[in-house]
Amino acid sequence: MKKFTPLLATLFSLIVVFPIVYSFSASFFSYTDFTSIPPRFFSSQPTFSNYTRAFLESNLAGFLSNSLITATMGTLIRLSISILTAYTFTFFTFKGRDVLFVLIIATMLLPGDALLIENFITIRHLGLIDTYLGIISTSLLAPTHIFMIRQYFKMVSSEYREAAIIEGCSDSRFLITLLLPISQGVVITLALQSFTGIFNDYLWPLLVTNKESMRTVQVGITMLGFSENLDYGPQFAAITLLMTPVLIAFILLNKNIKESVSTRFTGR
Amino acid sequence: MNKQGLIKIKPYLLVLPALALAFLFCYRPFFLTVINSLSNVSLGGKRTAFVGFDNYGRLFSNASFQDSLSNTLRFTLFFVPTNIAVCLGAALLCNRKGKLASLNQVFMFLPMAVAMSSSMMMFKMMFNPSIGIMNHLLNSDIQWFSDPKAAMFLLVMAGVWLDIGFDFLLLSSALRNVPKELLEVSNLEGANPWQTFTALQLPLIGPTLLFILVNNVKDAMLISAPVLILTEGGPFRSTQTLVYQMYLEGFKSGNYALGSTIATVVFALTFIIMLLLLSLERKRVYYQ
Repeated sequence: MKKFTPLLATLFSLIVVFPIVYSFSASFFSYTDFTSIPPRFFSSQPTFSNYTRAFLESNLAGFLSNSLITATMGTLIRLSISILTAYTFTFFTFKGRDVLFVLIIATMLLPGDALLIENFITIRHLGLIDTYLGIISTSLLAPTHIFMIRQYFKMVSSEYREAAIIEGCSDSRFLITLLLPISQGVVITLALQSFTGIFNDYLWPLLVTNKESMRTVQVGITMLGFSENLDYGPQFAAITLLMTPVLIAFILLNKNIKESVSTRFTGR
Repeated sequence: MNKQGLIKIKPYLLVLPALALAFLFCYRPFFLTVINSLSNVSLGGKRTAFVGFDNYGRLFSNASFQDSLSNTLRFTLFFVPTNIAVCLGAALLCNRKGKLASLNQVFMFLPMAVAMSSSMMMFKMMFNPSIGIMNHLLNSDIQWFSDPKAAMFLLVMAGVWLDIGFDFLLLSSALRNVPKELLEVSNLEGANPWQTFTALQLPLIGPTLLFILVNNVKDAMLISAPVLILTEGGPFRSTQTLVYQMYLEGFKSGNYALGSTIATVVFALTFIIMLLLLSLERKRVYYQ
């Protein structure tokens, strides 16, 4: 049994990674490569035309820029709100603090997907359909982020803040020059997580965008119009283009990713 | 306002954005959803009359809803054990040292790097019955999108692929945290791998497994977007799930009351399942 473990593990991991490898390879296929018998894993004459077609015959570039804008905007606002909220709940004592904190954290218990209809109506009333603000609106509150940042802030005694305030240091200066540098690690991790989370969101952006020009790329990629015509090359090219930067980041950062998962979820 | 008063209200002002968002996008819609499920709602989203539990009566006698409910439960029943078995198997096989092992590990969590909608488009094309690669590879002629059994099987596989990266990482790190000395002792005492797993590793990774179980059940009960892209609920509603039907009622038919009623049923179901699982946790799982 022990002897076969590496073999089995390799076989298993190849099956798991197969869709990714195949998509990459198929993005260089010509039309006939898809229909050839026996099926191909590699193109007979690799071609870049799928990539150019993906850009020229669809609005992929526009979708991509919408996604980059909303993900950046969303991450910045979400993190600012999270940091501000975590700071207040860590260093201020005020009436009703614990109740308010629970009220914010407990939003985790309400599954967002079941709130879609009402949230959509809200966004329509506010006139935010087909706007960037509408797309990011429901991702701005991140209770897990608030919770985790607060765990880091808690490591600093509140006496430090009191001393700093007495010395004439403002809250914003204390936050920016002292707290943020020491919690840099967690803030960067959460920023990355927010960015990919908002960038990859699907159902909500689908609902709040009607105009083609406002679509985000994860929504747009399902509507490029190639796969419906069994014209798979450009579709695979668009998918490959989207996933490659993240794949590279994952491979380069694989040690950090393993560690961050293990400390965050099992390091109780 | 004097300075003292300003200091008093400052913390409230600072947490106001978060509170406002929680109210606007979580609590308010939650209560409105529940109220809408007890009312008639116009196309514009306005409540016109209070109707008590009429919507629930209509919903439970609605054939489409009965399908959604049974499909969602079936999906959960197939998906959760398959996913846990696959991810645990993967984690156990890769729980080794060396270059090959770390390559195996990277491959196992790479699916995490692909966004849901891209993954589902990949599956949709690879499983196309005529020109997709899968039927060629399997040398089969399975009608993945027009045979109800095959479509459900495909959805379960797609779900496992979407989850494997994250669950694999969690389980591997839990397995790595099993103390080396214990493993050596069990090896010296002549325990076979199965005995080592059931008597030693399984209890120690229990909390992680429970965390994954709870999350998988929740995700499975709420599955909608993969259905929307991959199968669109078909064939013959055989993969239409609760949240997908909610989406159809709310956004395609403009039937807000029925959509809200489904949403309320989903809230209740996920809540009950969470409670059941958490009470299971108290009884069964030992913590280190």
